[in-house]
Amino acid sequence: MQKTKTKAFANLVISVLLLAFEIWAYFQAAGFRQVKGAYVQASTFPQIMDIGMMIFTIVLLVQSLIKVFGHMKPTDPDAEAAPSMNPIKNKGVAAALFVILLCVLYTLLFDKLGYVLVSAIVSIVIMWLIGKRKPVTVILVSVLVPLVMWIVFYKLLTVNIPMGVLQPLRDLIDRI
Amino acid sequence: MDWSLLFQSYGAVFTNLQVIIMTFIGALGGVLLGAIPGMTATMGVALLIPFSYGMDLIPSIGLLLGIYCGGMYGGSISAILIHAPGTPSAAATLIDGYPMTQKGQAGKALSVAMFASFCGGIIGALIMTFLSPLVAKVAMKFTSAEMLMLAFFGLSVIVAISGKSIAKGLISAFFGLLLCTVGLDPTYSVKRYIFGMKPLLSGFSFIPTLIGLFAISEVIAGVERIITGEETQMTSHEKITNVLPDRHTIRQIWPNILSGGIIGTFIGAIPGAGGDIAVFVSYGFNKSFSKHPEKWGTGIPNGVAATESANNGCSGGAMIPLLSLGVPGDAVTAVLLGAFIMKGIQPGPMMYVDELPTVYRVFAALMLANLAMLVVGCLGVRGFAKIVSVEKKMLYPIILVVSLLGAFSINKSVFDVGVCVLFGVIGWLMNKYEFPLSPILLALILGPMCEQNFVRFVDLNSGNFWAILSHPIAVGFFAVSVGTIIFSIFNQKKINRIEAANRARENG
Repeated sequence: MQKTKTKAFANLVISVLLLAFEIWAYFQAAGFRQVKGAYVQASTFPQIMDIGMMIFTIVLLVQSLIKVFGHMKPTDPDAEAAPSMNPIKNKGVAAALFVILLCVLYTLLFDKLGYVLVSAIVSIVIMWLIGKRKPVTVILVSVLVPLVMWIVFYKLLTVNIPMGVLQPLRDLIDRI
Repeated sequence: MDWSLLFQSYGAVFTNLQVIIMTFIGALGGVLLGAIPGMTATMGVALLIPFSYGMDLIPSIGLLLGIYCGGMYGGSISAILIHAPGTPSAAATLIDGYPMTQKGQAGKALSVAMFASFCGGIIGALIMTFLSPLVAKVAMKFTSAEMLMLAFFGLSVIVAISGKSIAKGLISAFFGLLLCTVGLDPTYSVKRYIFGMKPLLSGFSFIPTLIGLFAISEVIAGVERIITGEETQMTSHEKITNVLPDRHTIRQIWPNILSGGIIGTFIGAIPGAGGDIAVFVSYGFNKSFSKHPEKWGTGIPNGVAATESANNGCSGGAMIPLLSLGVPGDAVTAVLLGAFIMKGIQPGPMMYVDELPTVYRVFAALMLANLAMLVVGCLGVRGFAKIVSVEKKMLYPIILVVSLLGAFSINKSVFDVGVCVLFGVIGWLMNKYEFPLSPILLALILGPMCEQNFVRFVDLNSGNFWAILSHPIAVGFFAVSVGTIIFSIFNQKKINRIEAANRARENG
């Protein structure tokens, strides 16, 4: 197998990305407001943690460099193929990214459409995506689960969950 | 100790029908609440306090302790079955509990969790009864130096739970510690990494982060596996003939239960340190001293027993400083403190003088709460285990919407739903590239404690950190932590060697 397709190479790429993130976080912390006369500044703890993260990222980087550019035993777990992140070649990754997109939309529409409706829509779409093709079951489960959860939280636990466009349903439950 | 009064108090509690009913209702509610990701025992106790207004003290304490103990066990149900810890205290249970479910041993994992929870709770209640004045005295000697080193000790366990790569485990841990610094600095209220987002002023909420890392990431990964055909439908063909573990399993797990219960009780007795810390310390301790550490994390009952006995042991431990010093050991006992005060009783040293019968009745109520949890657990274990037989194509969307609701319900904030999704994506990517998630969780729990005590200690000693050497308990914690790290590194190397040898044998 080409070394660029191994887990060792993936670790190398990840450690470079992590180092970039850590350097950015370090300089962000350096910009925190300083308090006069304080023995420990607000930036001290984050910077210590950032340096700790940097040290072990460098350890991972060095380990990966040795494996990628040196000798790597075929039995080494890092010699195995790295997981693909290409949504065009890998349908699983494409589906995972689609679920993430749905979750983002869920967050954005949570207040406007309300918990029950947005949850039912997202459930139906995901069930359909992963091959559940019984419309009655899909719709029943997708509607009933959020509805029951909403009733449990609203009536028993007195947690107010947004109902959005289904607000009249809450008024109905209140009247009952 | 006044033995006759102690027995009298136990008799009074165990023969009072109202106390028994209330404790069972509490245990049932606690198990159900704990099983919902995002609903914690603290939330359950807080929600039910208003219902206990009209009751006498002991039935109301029985109700609340029932929720407390039931919630501790309930958290393990979703951790074991759907990889989403219901409560922070069940976070370590999923390390071995979920792989047991994947092996088709969900019922066994649940029965071990229940049995260990019960034993841990009883160990905690017994230690509380006999050692409470002594333990409270030791725990209350803790200053910021000891608390800092206690946090360091907790963090030293990370090496033991890091998995194959210690470097990746420690990167995860430091990432978690860095995440803890988001929001207002606890000493001078300086804004850190908030980028103009007001909800971030108080940092990332713990529960939505936890749900995201473990539940949402699992949903994303599950959908991916279904599409690529890697997901296999689990069915619970396991015949649960005994709701309790068999004799062979009990013989195998009793050392883990005993050590977990004791560790949980003592950590629970330290104010500020609760079940969430105790479970990881117990897991790391038991794994380090196991003859087969390589099996930990692959789905063995020992891992479930070590963590579940620790979190229920904490319930007894947390009551020690509450009753003897009036200082709550964790969030639930803080709410319980409110319940005592509401009834006109001020917990503290004088309670042992003025209200000794009440103290003993509380001990008895805790014992009853553990029994109630066992009964409720026994009755429900067959039903809970069936959850894994639900078709995955329906289960994943259900987990998603229930988990996101749990994330919202903590602060009633849509921002938290976004945080949950964000950490779901982070968790998915980390799992994909074999970065362990548990160290992040431990870091999120211990990070604030670590920073606050570090700042307090250095400030009190005018910038001289080395003054910590004048604190023998703190030095002791440090020495144990270093020992744990060295031991865990050797242990991990041994595990990696065994796994490499197995792989070489498999390859011919």
